Amino acid sequence: MRDAYLIGAGQSDYGSFPGESYRSLFRTAFENACDSVPAGIESEDVDEAIVGTLGVGGRQLGLPGPAVTEHVGLHGIPVTRVENACAASGYSVRQGVQAIRSGMADVVLASGVEIMTDVSGDAVRYWLGVSGETEWERLSGTTFAGVYAQMASRHMQEYGTTREQLSHVAVKNHENGAKNPHAQLGFECSLEDAMGAPTVADPLNLYHCCPTTDGAACVLLASEDVVENYTDDPIRVAGVGAGSDRVGLFQRDTYTAVPASQYAADRAYEMAGYGPDDLDFAEVHDCFAIAELMAYSDLGLCEPEEAGEFVASGTTKRDGEMPVNTSGGLKSKGHPIGATGAGQVVEAFKQLSGQAGERQLDDPQIGLTHNVGGSGGAAVVHVFERGLGGDAA
Amino acid sequence: MSGPRYERSKRQDQHLIGFECQACGWVSFPEEKRTCKRCGDAPAEMEEVQLAERGEIQTFVVQQYLPDDIETPQPVAIVDLPQEGEGEPARAYGLLTETDLEEIDVGTEVVARFRELFSDGERPINSFKFSVPREEKA
Ligand SMILES: [Zn+2]
Repeated sequence: MRDAYLIGAGQSDYGSFPGESYRSLFRTAFENACDSVPAGIESEDVDEAIVGTLGVGGRQLGLPGPAVTEHVGLHGIPVTRVENACAASGYSVRQGVQAIRSGMADVVLASGVEIMTDVSGDAVRYWLGVSGETEWERLSGTTFAGVYAQMASRHMQEYGTTREQLSHVAVKNHENGAKNPHAQLGFECSLEDAMGAPTVADPLNLYHCCPTTDGAACVLLASEDVVENYTDDPIRVAGVGAGSDRVGLFQRDTYTAVPASQYAADRAYEMAGYGPDDLDFAEVHDCFAIAELMAYSDLGLCEPEEAGEFVASGTTKRDGEMPVNTSGGLKSKGHPIGATGAGQVVEAFKQLSGQAGERQLDDPQIGLTHNVGGSGGAAVVHVFERGLGGDAA
Repeated sequence: MSGPRYERSKRQDQHLIGFECQACGWVSFPEEKRTCKRCGDAPAEMEEVQLAERGEIQTFVVQQYLPDDIETPQPVAIVDLPQEGEGEPARAYGLLTETDLEEIDVGTEVVARFRELFSDGERPINSFKFSVPREEKA
């Protein structure tokens, strides 16, 4: 099979930007991605573009793809919008890999964009809710924090996970985000501050929840046939896996895991020929603190009963054995729904190409990204490795 | 609200009737009887089963931060309702009412009632309400 490579990636700042539009944020992300390609790239090199977005606020709900690519000089090429809730642009990266592997494209832009902070409180709650299970969960007024809190309640009861362990996720991710110039909440927080935050959906407090965010992220992929035109230091997409599940939590067989993440991880590991022990870092979907703990076990980094201690012991800190969310994660870096998955790949690119600045890990070779839609109705996992890899290695 | 909600009969709305997949034992409740959500059997062979009114909280949340027009704190739970006979319990989702927050925990026994939650103007929108049985309250 034709291999796909990551040749560049960039993002806009994540935050609340009343002076920006989805077009200007997208343009910034696109320019940063193009600038990151070692040998440079021209707009006319791009064969196809995929844009992930939920469309918070409505805006350009139809044709949001061409509506942003027309502003970055991508004219006439096929452009598709991908919607899979918070996993939209993780799936746009996957679709980009598919386009390259199938032979239909040599260079693909896989991207995402979302504007969330310019709509009213009630409107943003509505748009945050649209990916929830509608018949029962939304009807009874359950928010996403409420659904993840149900996972947390059960995790605490079944495995003895504590609120303090959940708060360690926030402390760690803020420590990383403070070193990421693009982060929305780029400040450190103490364990005391994290634990003393007001309750949102018991047992989850404000520091167990990610913010709402404006932002865009762009990833440039190239086929093995053209990769050498763009870089001498290629990063191979070693594995891609995705999965789905029942949209409502209460209809699943477990409340303490996200089966869609397990399906996605198993498939990505199998394709890559690597397992959790081979990873040098992971960017995981920490929309809520409990989501990061479940990701640890769903991705095979530890057992579910060890997840709380896994973070509290410092194992997943930047200087720990298994760094997780060096970017700051959704918690500190921010969560512009449609841009999040591609944004995770931006961090993987920066770490693997040695451009992560103050948060750079020591010469990582293999990294993973994990992106979840809703409370686990969809998930997608990518494994990246430095070098040509595969048969060419 | 969309589709399946309107497909239920009045009898289903007023009685706790579930449908058991004869292939894998999953109990669909209260809506789906053509496809099994667990094993994917379709068309599934479903047998009607009567569910008990009392079940056990599997997990729960007490929501604090909600739109202004919703009363808080608002507890919501996933409850397993056992069958009257042998077989797996059915899964129900809904609000906890008339219950002290301290009484709510994984494993707490509650009574399930299917009640009108609100009206969409044309017909009542029904959902579950759970409560700790009164006689067991202090
Ligand atoms: Zn079945």
